[in-house]
Amino acid sequence: MSRSIIISVGAAALLLALVAWRFNGSSSSPEIAIAPKSQPPPAAPLCPWREPENDLKQFFPNATRYERETRILSGQRLELAEQLGRIPTGDENALHVYRVYDGQTPLGVVLTRRVKGAYGAIELVLAVNADGTVRGLRLQRLREPAPIADALQNPDWLHSFAGKRAADSWKLGQDIPEVAADARASAGAVVEGVRSLLILLATTGQTHDPIVTHHH
Amino acid sequence: MSILRLAFQNLVHRPLRNILTVIGLAVAIAVLVCLSAFGHGYQRALGAELDRMGLQMMLVPLGCPYDAAARVLKGRPLENSLPESALEAARRDPAVAIAAPLLMVALPRPDAGRADMWVGLDETALALKPWWRVSAGEKWFSNDDSVILGCDAAEIELRSPGELFFSPETGRKFRVAGVLERSGTSDDSLFFVPLRTAQQMFNQSNRLTAIAIRLRDPALLHEASVRLQRIPGAQVVTLTEMMGTFLNLVGMVRTLLFSIALVAITVSVLGVFNTLLTAVVERTNELAVMRAIGASRWQIVGLITTEALLLTGAGGIAGVLLALAAGHGIENLVKSFVPLAPDGTMMSPTAPILFQSVLAGVVVGVLAGLYPAWRAGRLQPAEALKAE
Repeated sequence: MSRSIIISVGAAALLLALVAWRFNGSSSSPEIAIAPKSQPPPAAPLCPWREPENDLKQFFPNATRYERETRILSGQRLELAEQLGRIPTGDENALHVYRVYDGQTPLGVVLTRRVKGAYGAIELVLAVNADGTVRGLRLQRLREPAPIADALQNPDWLHSFAGKRAADSWKLGQDIPEVAADARASAGAVVEGVRSLLILLATTGQTHDPIVTHHH
Repeated sequence: MSILRLAFQNLVHRPLRNILTVIGLAVAIAVLVCLSAFGHGYQRALGAELDRMGLQMMLVPLGCPYDAAARVLKGRPLENSLPESALEAARRDPAVAIAAPLLMVALPRPDAGRADMWVGLDETALALKPWWRVSAGEKWFSNDDSVILGCDAAEIELRSPGELFFSPETGRKFRVAGVLERSGTSDDSLFFVPLRTAQQMFNQSNRLTAIAIRLRDPALLHEASVRLQRIPGAQVVTLTEMMGTFLNLVGMVRTLLFSIALVAITVSVLGVFNTLLTAVVERTNELAVMRAIGASRWQIVGLITTEALLLTGAGGIAGVLLALAAGHGIENLVKSFVPLAPDGTMMSPTAPILFQSVLAGVVVGVLAGLYPAWRAGRLQPAEALKAE
C-alpha cells in the first residue's frame, strides 16, 4: 500500500516537473538589445577584387604590394548595429581588407562589396586612406541600363565620395550629389554600401579577433 | 558431449588466436559485402539519376556527339545549332512522347571573370524536369519578359522574385518570376527565359542548341534513334550510351577493388588454415586419446570441420556487421575513384548480397579446414601417443 502511494506521488512530481519545464521552455526569448532602425540589405556572397593591378595604379600609384586580411567581426555585432542603424547582415560578420603598402609604409586599404542595384548586383571597389577617409571609388561590375550606369559611373559623382569618413553625414542629394530619379535606388545602394564598408573598417580597429593574412 | 559443443569449447580455449582469425576473415567479408553492395547501388543510383533527368536521348548538331551531349548536360553552349524544323520532325515521330527544345547562349563578361549563361525553354521542359522546384516566386514565366534564376545566379545578382533584371549586352529588361531551389546541377547558375525571348535576344530565330527527348516507351529507343538520326543536321546521343560509358569506367574500378578483396580473402583463408593446422598439431595427444577411446575417424574430421565452420561463420557475421557499420566511410572512399558519382547513397546491401558474402566466406573457410581435418582423421592413436 505504502509503496503504491510513494510511486503515485513520485509520478505526480515528475509530471509537474515536466509541465513546469515545458512552460518555461515556451516562454519568449529576451529581446535584442538594439532594435533595428531600418531593414538590413540582403546578405551577399563575398565580393572578389577583380582588377587589383589597375585599381592600385588608379588609387595608390606608389603601391608596391598589398596584403589581404580577413577580419572577423561577429563579436562586434552590437556596436555595428548601433553605428549602421540596422542589424548587420550575415556577410558583415567578416571583412576582407586589402592593406596597400609602399615597401613597409602603409598607404591605405582597399575594400570590396556587392550591393543591390535596381537591375542586378553592383560591385564596389573602395580605396581608403590610412586616416580612414575615402580615397576613391570604382564600380567594378554592374548590370544597370545605360542611363543609370552612366549616372553611377559619372567621374564627378564618384569623386564626390573622396574625403568622406564613416561618421560623416551620407544623405543622397545633400552630402552626395543628387542623381536622376531612375538612378536614385541604385545610387542609394552605392552610398549605403560605401558607408557600411567604412563603418566595418573602423570597427576592425577595435577588434582583437583572429586575422588571416595573405601576401601579394 | 556433442561435436558442436566440443568444437566450440576447443575454440574458446585458444581465444586470442581464434579472435584474430575471425577479425581477419571479418575484414575480408566486410570488403566483399561493401564492394558488392556498392556495385549494385551505383548502377541503380546512376540509372535513377539519368531517369531523374527525364530524357532518354538528345538531338544535337552534327559534330562530336558525346562532347555535345556533355556540354548540354553541364550547361555549356554548343558552337553550332539545330534548325527548329528538327524539333517539328522529332515531335512527329510516333515513339517520341516529349521533345523539349533548348537554346543556350554564353555571354562572356570579362569584367566579371565569368560568362552569363542564358537558356531558352518552352513549357515542355517542365515535363522533363519534374524535380524543378522554386524556392521563391513562380515555377514558370508569366510573360515573355520573365526570367527564372538558378539559386547561385540569384544570390550573386541579389535578385528576388518581382525584382528587375537587365541584360546589358542585349539591352533586354526582365522581371524575375522565380528562383530555383539548389539542385547541385548546372541549373544553379543559369538564367532561364522563354525560348522565343532567347531566340530574339541572340538573333537565333528558328535555331536551337539541342532537343531533349523522352520516349513513350524506353523499349523503342533503338528504332526511334535510327529514325531521328535521319533528321538533316542532327545527330542522336542516347543516355544509355552515356550510361554505358560511365558503367564501363566503373567496371574497371570495381575489377581493381575486387582484386584487393580477393587478396584480403586469400590472406584470411590462409589464416583459418594456419589456425586449424596449428590446433591439430597442438592437440595431437588429445585427438589420439579420443580415437583410442572409440571416436571414429569421421568424428575427428567432423570435429575439425565444425571448428572451421564456427570460425568462418563468426567471421562472416562479424564482417556483415562491420560492413553495415563502416559502409558509409567505404562508400566515400570508393566514390573518389569513380568518374561520375550520382547523388544520394550508393551502398545498397541487399539480403542476397549479405547471404552470398557470408556463404562465400564459410565455403572457402571450410575448404581451408579440410586439410587439417583430413590430417587429424589420419592420426593413428598408438603412434601418436608413442610420439608424445
